Amino acid sequence: MTTLRRVLWVCAALVVWECVLRMLPDSLLISRPLAIAGYVSNNAALLARATLETSVNAAWGFVWGNLAAVVLGTIMTVFPSSERTLSALSLLVFCVPLIASGPILRVLFGPGVGPQITLAALAVYYTTLLALLVGLRAVSQSWTDLMRIYDRGPVSTLIRVRARASLPYLFVGLQISAPAAFLGAMIGEFTGAERGLGVLTLRAMRGLDSDATWALALLSALIAVTAYGLIDWLGQRMVGYRPVILLSAPAASTRRSTGMRLIEMGCTTALVLLLWQVSMDAFDLNRFFAKRPGDVWAFITDAENRNTLLSALAETLSFAAPGYLAGLALGAGLAALLVLSPALSRATMPVAVALRAVPIITTAPLLVLAFGRGLIGTTVVVAVMIFFPTFVACQQGLRQMPGQIVDLFRSYDAGRWHLLRAAQIPAMLPAFFASARMAVPAALLAVTTVEWLATGKGVGVLMAMTASTSNYNMLWSCVAILAAVAVAVYAAVAALERAVLRVYASEQLS
Amino acid sequence: MTQPAHLTRRFFLQTSAAGVATTAAGVPAFAATSVNFQLSWLHSVQFGGSYIAAQKGYWTDQGLDVSLSQGGPNAPVEPPVVSGAALVGISAADYTAAAVAEGAPFKIIAVAMQKNPFAIASLTANPVNTPADLVGRRIGMAVANTPVLQALCTLNNVDINDIEIVPTQYDPAPLVSRQVDCLLCWETDLPVAMTVQGVDNTTMLMADHGYALHSQTYIATEDAIANRRADLVGLIKGEVMGWNDYVADTDAAAMLTVEMFPDAGLDPQTQKLQAARQVPLMFSDLTDEKGFGWFTEETVAENIETLALLGRDVSADLWDRSILEEVHV
Repeated sequence: MTTLRRVLWVCAALVVWECVLRMLPDSLLISRPLAIAGYVSNNAALLARATLETSVNAAWGFVWGNLAAVVLGTIMTVFPSSERTLSALSLLVFCVPLIASGPILRVLFGPGVGPQITLAALAVYYTTLLALLVGLRAVSQSWTDLMRIYDRGPVSTLIRVRARASLPYLFVGLQISAPAAFLGAMIGEFTGAERGLGVLTLRAMRGLDSDATWALALLSALIAVTAYGLIDWLGQRMVGYRPVILLSAPAASTRRSTGMRLIEMGCTTALVLLLWQVSMDAFDLNRFFAKRPGDVWAFITDAENRNTLLSALAETLSFAAPGYLAGLALGAGLAALLVLSPALSRATMPVAVALRAVPIITTAPLLVLAFGRGLIGTTVVVAVMIFFPTFVACQQGLRQMPGQIVDLFRSYDAGRWHLLRAAQIPAMLPAFFASARMAVPAALLAVTTVEWLATGKGVGVLMAMTASTSNYNMLWSCVAILAAVAVAVYAAVAALERAVLRVYASEQLS
Repeated sequence: MTQPAHLTRRFFLQTSAAGVATTAAGVPAFAATSVNFQLSWLHSVQFGGSYIAAQKGYWTDQGLDVSLSQGGPNAPVEPPVVSGAALVGISAADYTAAAVAEGAPFKIIAVAMQKNPFAIASLTANPVNTPADLVGRRIGMAVANTPVLQALCTLNNVDINDIEIVPTQYDPAPLVSRQVDCLLCWETDLPVAMTVQGVDNTTMLMADHGYALHSQTYIATEDAIANRRADLVGLIKGEVMGWNDYVADTDAAAMLTVEMFPDAGLDPQTQKLQAARQVPLMFSDLTDEKGFGWFTEETVAENIETLALLGRDVSADLWDRSILEEVHV
């Protein structure tokens, strides 16, 4: 019965969509459902081949990216001392934008699907890693204490206690990955791929072929929603247990000395610079486009270059901050709203997944048309680009509320609001902070994209100009400075997180 | 998933073998040298002459096995050429000048577009016909192209501050939805798309207002010019033959493009219109007299002046005609 009702609702929406656009005949940017259906039936074979190509690449990227996340997460849990360094490296790799990585991947892989798969993998490993780490720590102190009493090491604890606890969070990571991998594979096609949905999208946009653009966007969204739903279903079957109460004593404040921190930071920085240099040398990448740390240093010691870069950075950050906060608020707010009104969940989820799976070059023109090129427009576009991981993670976090606590609130006749505020939001906090950390590099990459597409200011434009100026020194300086900012903001969010979780979820603090 | 038959190595080897049988030159099939040719954008009739050269075996006759790598938004031409992954790339004089300033050892060895394809596109109801019409208008463009607009303004005594620059993505939507009055784009892509979609539009070619800049130029490294001369001559020879066929029948070139790339989603009507519209940019009295791809000291001097307006100081050394001279003997 509910299925029938849902189908009827969808049909009604399509009829309204069709009728409204028939009344606005000169609208060339939005297509009518019948016109979209016409395009799909006329080009079915082409779309099928492109869909297969992009989906297969996305699937390989999904597998490799998540595998990398699991391996990294395991290493960090078994050897906690490696965690800071490894998480810094993971963050930095995630910070390298497509405009810098694209040419390198194409030169390394040559023609073929290598860059698409790599970019899909890069798009997913980081979010999964952060979600997984939260999960691996979501265990009661009593369990870890028990393992310690029996003199079991970290490997044993990982297998017997942490792995199982991490499953709900691992599935959050996988769910976030599904549309991200698809988008990554599509964007990867911009590096010179011969076929796929990304190539078709690009051509449809430039050809003002709005029927094709909409058909491709809907198709991408449909695939992402299906993959998302499939993982959700799998997750619910595989995570066959209910969340339990995690009793953990508030952690004592463990401040390390400033000197120790500085030494650690210095070592990590040196390691990063060394890896940067050595990896480029190992693959014999030409210095013309693969700049080494020394090149960047020489470039930014020039005062004029430095000023250009810093003033662009100031513009970028002034747009990134509101976008970041709006994206987090949108994601967390939507998740909370859906708890208050579960009926909304089914209707909103596909839209949320779709917004994550359709390339921003398709959605940005419509958003910019609706919200303008000012602060509001750019904030909206950035928020749309980054809200999804927060939304999914927070929704999962809210679900982590143990049933006994809900029963307790019910027996005292507490309202939904009260339950949300006093129990569910605290339960959500670890997931929320993980997504707040994930969103830091994502917001910076998003804002540079918006600058290139809509505002024409900031670091995004400096990077986009590389295409015509070959100023790869500027490009890599931009990459370095964005990465530095990402690390700094990440550290600030992590500090805030520690302060909050010390009270609400001390098991998260290792 | 499979490659179109005509792009595979086997196809080239087969046609190469056929070439031995039919041509008096008798290039041995086993000598086919693999060459990567980096195009500047996605496959379209923009590179129609190259597809003809591949299909008709003009390159195999030269003993070359040429693979055409398409470009894209995140596939710049300069890195594969500088690293040797591609022997020749399609660039433009301003891009090449910039890359050379950054240390790339490039030379322009031939010029496909004698006239620069940059144009100002507007709706016919609200047209921009001369540079003076830009005053008080909103122009949609990538901010990276500001020097291009600045050069046009300088050449035509227009104050760029009287034009409102709106940063847009490279697609016709902002013009059609009237967020801007005009677009800085290529004569041969967005205006063609609008025409095919039934949007009446007007274009003003910047080359007709003093903006002299070679485009769709063939670039190679100094090292390649010194050490892989025969391959370069063969590649450009095939290009010249392909483009001569192209201009004889642009519709056929468009249809060949559509058939060669079934996965590209190309529209035959758009390709035919684009094919016809790029002819006046690529062929001129000069090419009629000297042959496709040619350039002279005069056209180079004009380019150097325009490049100076774009903030690029280059000398005539950026161009090297020796390959063309061997091709057109």
